[in-house]
Amino acid sequence: MTNGIPYATALEQYEPKAERPLPDQEMSGEELRRAYHPDHYADSIVELNVGTNKGDACHRQLADILQADARIDEADLAGAPIVETDVLVIGGGGAGCAAALTASRGGASVILATKLRIGDSNTVMAEGGIQASIEKDDTPQMHYDDTLKGGHQNVNKDLVAKLVMNGPDVVRWLIQQGMQFDLDKYGDLLTRRAGGTSADRIVYYRDYTGLEMMRVLQEAVRTSRIDVWDYSPAVELLSDELGHCAGAVISSLEDNRYKLIKAKSVIIATGGIGRLHLNKFPTSNHFGATGDGLVLAYRLGARLQDVDSFQYHPSGLAYPQHLAGTLITEAVRSAGAYLLNGNGDRFIEELQPRDQVAAAILRECAEGRGVTVDGGGQGIWLDTPGVELREPGIFDARFPKLIELGKKSNIDPRKQPLLIYPTLHYQNGGVVIDENCQSSVPGLYCVGEVCGGIHGRNRLMGNALLEIIAFGRIAGNHAMETAPSHKHKKSSIEHLSQLRRELTLANMPMDKQGPALFPSYAKFENDSDYGGLHKTTQVES
Amino acid sequence: MGEQAEDSGRSGDQVNLTINGKSISAPSSLSVIQALWHTGYPRVKSVGCLEGVCGSCRVMVRRVDSREVTTELGCQVLIEEGMQVNFLLFPTPTHHRYQLEEINSSWEVQGKFHKFFPEAEMCRHCGGCNQTCPKGISVELGVELASKGRFEEAGALFIECVLCNLCQTACPESIAPNHVGLFSRRVSAYFHIRPSNLINRLEKLRKGELEIIK
Repeated sequence: MTNGIPYATALEQYEPKAERPLPDQEMSGEELRRAYHPDHYADSIVELNVGTNKGDACHRQLADILQADARIDEADLAGAPIVETDVLVIGGGGAGCAAALTASRGGASVILATKLRIGDSNTVMAEGGIQASIEKDDTPQMHYDDTLKGGHQNVNKDLVAKLVMNGPDVVRWLIQQGMQFDLDKYGDLLTRRAGGTSADRIVYYRDYTGLEMMRVLQEAVRTSRIDVWDYSPAVELLSDELGHCAGAVISSLEDNRYKLIKAKSVIIATGGIGRLHLNKFPTSNHFGATGDGLVLAYRLGARLQDVDSFQYHPSGLAYPQHLAGTLITEAVRSAGAYLLNGNGDRFIEELQPRDQVAAAILRECAEGRGVTVDGGGQGIWLDTPGVELREPGIFDARFPKLIELGKKSNIDPRKQPLLIYPTLHYQNGGVVIDENCQSSVPGLYCVGEVCGGIHGRNRLMGNALLEIIAFGRIAGNHAMETAPSHKHKKSSIEHLSQLRRELTLANMPMDKQGPALFPSYAKFENDSDYGGLHKTTQVES
Repeated sequence: MGEQAEDSGRSGDQVNLTINGKSISAPSSLSVIQALWHTGYPRVKSVGCLEGVCGSCRVMVRRVDSREVTTELGCQVLIEEGMQVNFLLFPTPTHHRYQLEEINSSWEVQGKFHKFFPEAEMCRHCGGCNQTCPKGISVELGVELASKGRFEEAGALFIECVLCNLCQTACPESIAPNHVGLFSRRVSAYFHIRPSNLINRLEKLRKGELEIIK
């Protein structure tokens, strides 16, 4: 543990003030990132040894699961029931639901298979809002320029253009699914600013934007014709003799059986990777965010990009410890909250892009200006009382979820600052897709956080909720339109022979299996009947 | 730097409690779910966002010296000495099937509501739904308002609803109050949210007045 100022001392020294000056900044954003951002930690990056991206840089922990052995072989599939559908969507978050709804309404038969329950996802936890350029002093071009700049130019420009041009229609579509937004007294959408942007462009519903979106989409799916398979993680994709995607193998958590779903198209919408706790960081992510889709797609030969780039959200709660990693929405900084080190000084312009702000926080902690907590952990202050002083009542009106979090923490954020520390939040890279969300493997689409190319190496607030709906609709539509021209293919898991050959040739260990499905501390592998409460029971041999 | 991994051992006094009938001892700073993981019990089902917004981790809780059994979300309950906890696995989802597009105009909403949710007016005001709601929503009142066609008011009561379905489980008439609440919210948006700033921008886009120079 590095030095810092003890929590009690720092809190005693803290005084609520409405205004505080920002001292001159000595380091540029680029210098900050290089010196302090976790993407640049020594020994966290390795080269991939097998697969389409052989030779490319990848985070060490992700490389371990991308290059792991499969969980199944041919013998496991003997006698497994087979179901056919036009479109199989894997993942029940916002992206999966948008894709499934669009494909189903267009006339395709759709199965939506999800590891836990539909709606158990990062979408439901998103608080800040959705970017869509709708204000008079804003344009899609400005949204495009901001996204490029935030991502350090390292983006697929065609995808970004599509993203921003779809923004307003995504909001219209969501309203037509029954989603509510915060409105002014004339019924116009309220907007607010995100870090790293040049106009007020975030539309939102309190700090429950993701919850409101997810429950509406979930309800739309549940009340539709879509066949929803809960508790059904995909453990492998199916391939035909040409290596095209032909469906997936599901391992049911309900009856512990394998089931084969043959599909004309498969849409992977499995989200991110936070629960792998890269570099031992806490995470804001949902329990199921273990990067399964990346593993499945990579094994079938899909090309990946930027798998060495991740977003550490600047404001994860650092105290109390049982809530460590819980996200505090960037909207609190949008509303004007300062970041203060243990001495009560500002140290960064708070609405710089997330990677820069996170790096600055890590610098303060590394150099002894952080606040340390007994029993482990450290952080810096998110100066919420300052905002309340400037704008009394704002937290009650706009941030009910934050007030709730305060109650659980025994801290009133209107009176006492919150201790925060960066939390692993988002996978910037992922599967390479084209403008129709098709991966490099025919028949395999990817949508949402599992994809790369849209956010470059740093995502802006509000662009993820936009992406999942914009591209979810595009993927669902394309998969539906191409369904009639496709027939069900001969399907197998033959591609695993190739994988195992490559792993052996590259001298890779074969003792680990992927996809991970659940974080190790959930003890899933010991849970032989998936029933829940069986202490370290042995898996039957 | 970066040494703040979650889910390792935590500080806090050890407390003893039972979860699904198993005796467990864990530090008091942990939630019910974290305590299970901490002591080596697998727990996969009934775990979701771990932030109290997905409604997956439904538990029945009885605290020491209390006869009352409450229903709560397991990720939000800190363990206490002598506590008894039981996980409630998720029930069958709602059987209701409807599409908002079936409602031709806002004049039809009330009629269609009673067609989609015929049980809603059967409420016998037993209060079971209010009692089970882990978010403290006035569920019963919401159902009553929706039945009277006051959808905007009904929906506003369900802002915090996480679709945990406990109210549905508790309802002897199988009303599915959370879905009634969500329907109320959805029709309000579907028929009444028409922001002029959004509509102006959509018009400009439709006319091709805004393009991206890459």
